[in-house]
Amino acid sequence: MKARKAGRQQERAAPEDQGAAPVPAEKETWAQHAEEAADMVAWDNVSFAYDGQHADIDGVSLTIRKGEWVTLAGANGCGKSTLSRLMNGLLRASSGCISIGGIRLEAGTLGAIRQKIGMVFQNPDNQFIGATVEEDMAFGLEGLCLDTEEIRERITRYAGRLGIGQLLRRHPQELSGGQKQRAALAAILAMEPELIILDEASSMLDEKARSEMLELLREMHGETRYTLLSITHDAEEIFASQRVLVMDRGRVVADVAPDMLFRNGELLRLCRMEPPFRLQLARELEQRGVMTADGVTGAMLNPVVEEMRKWAFGSSM
Amino acid sequence: MGIRFEHVSYTYDARSPMRQTALQDVNIRLAEGALTGIAGSSGSGKSTLLQLLNGILLPTEGTVKVLDLRLSAGEKPPKLAPLRRRVGLVFQFPEQQLFARTLEEDLSFGPLNFGASPEEAAHSARKALAAMGLGESLLRRHPLQLSGGQRRKAAIASVLAMGPDILVLDEPGATLDQVSRSELIQLLHRLCREEGKTVIIVTHRIDELLPYADRWVIMHEGRAAFQGTVRELVDTAGKLPDYGLAVPEPIRWWRELEAAYGLQAEEPCLSPAALAERIAQLVQTDARKEQAYA
Repeated sequence: MKARKAGRQQERAAPEDQGAAPVPAEKETWAQHAEEAADMVAWDNVSFAYDGQHADIDGVSLTIRKGEWVTLAGANGCGKSTLSRLMNGLLRASSGCISIGGIRLEAGTLGAIRQKIGMVFQNPDNQFIGATVEEDMAFGLEGLCLDTEEIRERITRYAGRLGIGQLLRRHPQELSGGQKQRAALAAILAMEPELIILDEASSMLDEKARSEMLELLREMHGETRYTLLSITHDAEEIFASQRVLVMDRGRVVADVAPDMLFRNGELLRLCRMEPPFRLQLARELEQRGVMTADGVTGAMLNPVVEEMRKWAFGSSM
Repeated sequence: MGIRFEHVSYTYDARSPMRQTALQDVNIRLAEGALTGIAGSSGSGKSTLLQLLNGILLPTEGTVKVLDLRLSAGEKPPKLAPLRRRVGLVFQFPEQQLFARTLEEDLSFGPLNFGASPEEAAHSARKALAAMGLGESLLRRHPLQLSGGQRRKAAIASVLAMGPDILVLDEPGATLDQVSRSELIQLLHRLCREEGKTVIIVTHRIDELLPYADRWVIMHEGRAAFQGTVRELVDTAGKLPDYGLAVPEPIRWWRELEAAYGLQAEEPCLSPAALAERIAQLVQTDARKEQAYA
């Protein structure tokens, strides 16, 4: 018995011994990996066509650094969702190379990569599997082969975090839209992904639930351990992110800061977006020669109008 | 005629322990030929309300009158086919309404089913598709080969193709890009003004619909908490947070201006252009007064 144990220890020790020997080629690979690891997402010239002929994603190269919050914007049908589905291998690129967290996406690494990515869609109903919120959260965790204690602990922790602790025994259909989306997000977060892709995740929510969700995303971004990729048309969500990648017909055609997007008429037209009410009002006021960002032309302003001017011409949301 | 809800309640699974009351004693009137906006937080009963409009759900209490038909609790409903031809309903996830092998088949299905000839059906399909800004090249595609936004537009087109008198849409613009959203609202506004259609739109984005809606209904916890004109909505906007809704920015600023300049008798200016124009006038008047004093 003792001999067998010792044998096993030896077996286990062996690879470490080998690893200790300096092998230059391996060292290089590791250094490369470490460097790449600062990029959560790295795409190199990726193309994809649903019909095998006409490219729906056309030679896209992009990088998203760890902890970054990036928005993917563009008109309906420009390839935003296709791009997000290529990230975790739901679709397979016809050419080019995709790396997630330093791991190259290929058949053998699909499992490892999917563990790194959590996806939240617009309709949470399509994502529920369990008969209760708790079961639903447990489903993903069981898939990760965690032990029961760990599963329980994570459910409690993340349900509490998203304020749905009291809803764990409820059927997902009994929840309101905002609660459902929080439950879906809790199930995803419990699996502790590094990259979270939100595909129009707030578009079905009412205004209150939408601003709650935005607050939550801001908090998550503040924690720096999540990389966020929002696919959205919502101006506030775009303003909250750090970078906007603008897509047009399967290509990434611009990489800009959010306020640059809203001040660039051509990009807005490309995304088929309109500036938020505030910026539209500022433009209309400026066109009429009433006031500018610097102040007013002519008379003293009534305090309410002055307050409105500051709001409309201000630089943040 | 229009649409009237008289003491309407609706309870899901009324006979089970899981019963859930979605609507409670709702009394509303939706004018014919008008564009009505319905808002309310999630779970306030908006979607249930819409499903009562063409008999998908029947009231558990009270009476729903749509056009010349009456749907009363406990009574055998009249034949629903004529009602369904005249009331076109676009659900919250309209892409789930698509089922045929090609988009063309899907768009012609409704008209054919309601007795149109194949030529008429094909014509309505193309007209509806064009109205939604989609190209004819998509007609041969399978609905699943369209993007999310295109599918949503296609589903709305499939309802437009039937030429209903009353168009009811549940959050039609969510996930559409903003330009498509405002084009859709303008299209519905045109159908209402030029063709006399009754249009009812459930929306989370009150501000987008403000310049177009004639009337508003605000739902809260299964009741109609408010119904009235845009002017009345502006007057009672202070209560919106009680119903789980934020005060839309155009209304917030208009109310401030109203209070500062005493504009309460005016029709509110709620689009960016209208608001800027009114402010320009006010600022000019202020300037003239200032000069007069000097």
